[in-house]
Amino acid sequence: MKSIKFVFTIIVLTTSAFSIKAQHVNDPSLVAKGAKVYSENCARCHNARPAEEYSKKEWSVVIPHMRAKAHMTGKEALAVEAFLASTLTADVRNAEEYTKPNAPKKSGEELVTQFGCQGCHQIKGEGGKLGPALDGVVASKGESFVLKKLIDPKFNNAASAMPKYPMNKEDIKAIIGFLKE
Amino acid sequence: MKKVLLQSAVAAAISMSLMTTATAQESSALDIGRLALAGYGDVTYAYQPDMKDEEGNDIQNNVVARFVPIFLFQLSEKIHIEAELEFSTNAEGETETELEYANMHYFFNDNTIITAGKFLLPFGQFGANLHPSWINKAVSNPGIYGGHGGNGSLGGVTSIMNDTGINVANTWVLGDAGRIFTDFYAVSGPRQEEGDHGGGVEIESKNGDNNDSMAFGGRIAYAFLPEWEIGMSYYSGAYSDDGDLNYSAYNIDFNWVGSYSSVRGEIFGSTAETEGEEEGEEEGHGEEWVKDFDKSGWYIQGTWQARQLGKSWLNPVEFVVRYSDIESDFDGSIEHDFEEDGGKTGSRIYYGVNYWLEPSAVLKLGAESTSIENEEASHTSVPDDRIFLQLAFGF
Ligand code: HEC
Ligand code: HEC
Repeated sequence: MKSIKFVFTIIVLTTSAFSIKAQHVNDPSLVAKGAKVYSENCARCHNARPAEEYSKKEWSVVIPHMRAKAHMTGKEALAVEAFLASTLTADVRNAEEYTKPNAPKKSGEELVTQFGCQGCHQIKGEGGKLGPALDGVVASKGESFVLKKLIDPKFNNAASAMPKYPMNKEDIKAIIGFLKE
Repeated sequence: MKKVLLQSAVAAAISMSLMTTATAQESSALDIGRLALAGYGDVTYAYQPDMKDEEGNDIQNNVVARFVPIFLFQLSEKIHIEAELEFSTNAEGETETELEYANMHYFFNDNTIITAGKFLLPFGQFGANLHPSWINKAVSNPGIYGGHGGNGSLGGVTSIMNDTGINVANTWVLGDAGRIFTDFYAVSGPRQEEGDHGGGVEIESKNGDNNDSMAFGGRIAYAFLPEWEIGMSYYSGAYSDDGDLNYSAYNIDFNWVGSYSSVRGEIFGSTAETEGEEEGEEEGHGEEWVKDFDKSGWYIQGTWQARQLGKSWLNPVEFVVRYSDIESDFDGSIEHDFEEDGGKTGSRIYYGVNYWLEPSAVLKLGAESTSIENEEASHTSVPDDRIFLQLAFGF
């Protein structure tokens, strides 16, 4: 009897629910918010899991599981999804104007905003605390260290929560330039 | 009572869902998938040369393994289904299979989630959120939780609880960092274990319910993101076959998670009503009694990542200490099965070093030592010390 009711509930809820086709969101402020939500929630129970561990399709199924565990609101979950999507596909770089050969290059500051670095790092007093503050990191650890860290965050820490970003050298140089300021 | 409640919960869920379908939502930035396979597993070696069982025979060192796949399905943006199966080998080399949970989440609106099916009860933190081996910083479970982790001679306050029913979870956003999390559930409830005097309380819902009354419970937590969360949980339900003996439990959990270190703890208490009969004076029956059997405990756990020292070879290293303590009001006066495992009280300390191979893969080396205080509760007193080596991974 109990199981009949359970099945019945599923059927009714399924038919009353709806789904919308996925749509790429390139909203940098949503990505930045997502990075913040991610850094504030996703290491509360376990080590934060870096974006590249799952495909975008898998994350879309994992995030509802974690939304329930972490008591995230729907809006927070959508922001985390936007953050994960941006680090997985470089949606930011794939934005239309970027693929044009004469697309304006992004400055280091723009890239830092768009990749949500400040979700996890403080820069000039602003940002999260999952990772260390980045002011002075280039001076203290050297440019080649930061370069290596951005190419492969796990190179010096196998358990790093920092996502491996789909950036090219030019982007990384721009970010290093910004961090030196 | 039980049926009416379930029906009204279902009816409420349906009518609310119909009302909300009209409001469109922003959509995900991800490609929408349907199925994901996740889970965890571990291999654990326990070295315990001094351990003896109740008859005084040596307990062997042993290797046990677990594989726990999690199946996640997304039916729609509003409906998500999840199930976790546990395959394990025990110390005797037998394979066990268990359904940990199988439930459906209905994302009712921005801050309400309705869960129906078999789920881990939101009671405290460890049982619901911290027990998977790649998340649990130690090899064993805190002493207040029985089962699933080589608990040796120290019986837990209770084992990790999963049960079947319905849960409503809510999130209240208070500014940038403040959150209130609530969970309220009605589940089929605890059962009475087999035993001469009626037996102890069994929480896990292996065989369905035994009486007509449900158990109720909930957790209210305040979080100050990202570092703090403090929760209070309560649980109450009838456990005896005739439904007139009650089991209730409370839990207070606190969690502080910093960039390099964390401190967590729980205070946990339970009261089980037990019944019995005075020795009959002549031939007839003696007077019947109902007594409360109280049991309580707490644990505190600290972790520290050596990464803080800034030496890259120390980046994967983490240290763990955990202290657990259990007390009960058992003094030998209740002639009851509770005394078997429920009556043992004492404390346990665990020291460990973890070496992280991945964010979700870890090699743990740990040592734990238990001292039992009330030896009258156990038939013999045995040293209860062991060393663990565990490889744990989440995928
Ligand atoms: C309240 C505790 C908690 C929080 C907060 C949390 N997780 Fe989890 N997470 C878990 C548990 C517990 C599991 C193990 C799965 C299980 O037992 O159901 C898990 C598993 C996972 C997995 C493995 C795949 C899976 O679904 O089992 C991923 C990936 C993950 N979490 C990512 C995240 C992300 C991203 C966030 C932040 C949005 C997050 N977690 C926040 C508790 C939590
Ligand atoms: C999801 C959180 C997260 C995001 C987003 C993130 N990082 Fe990190 N990052 C970390 C963590 C955690 C560490 C420290 C652990 C480690 O060494 O990997 C770290 C370490 C670093 C370090 C090394 C610092 C040191 O002192 O060793 C640099 C440099 C860095 N991040 C730069 C960046 C930049 C630039 C971005 C944006 C493009 C970024 N991070 C985005 C989490 C993040």
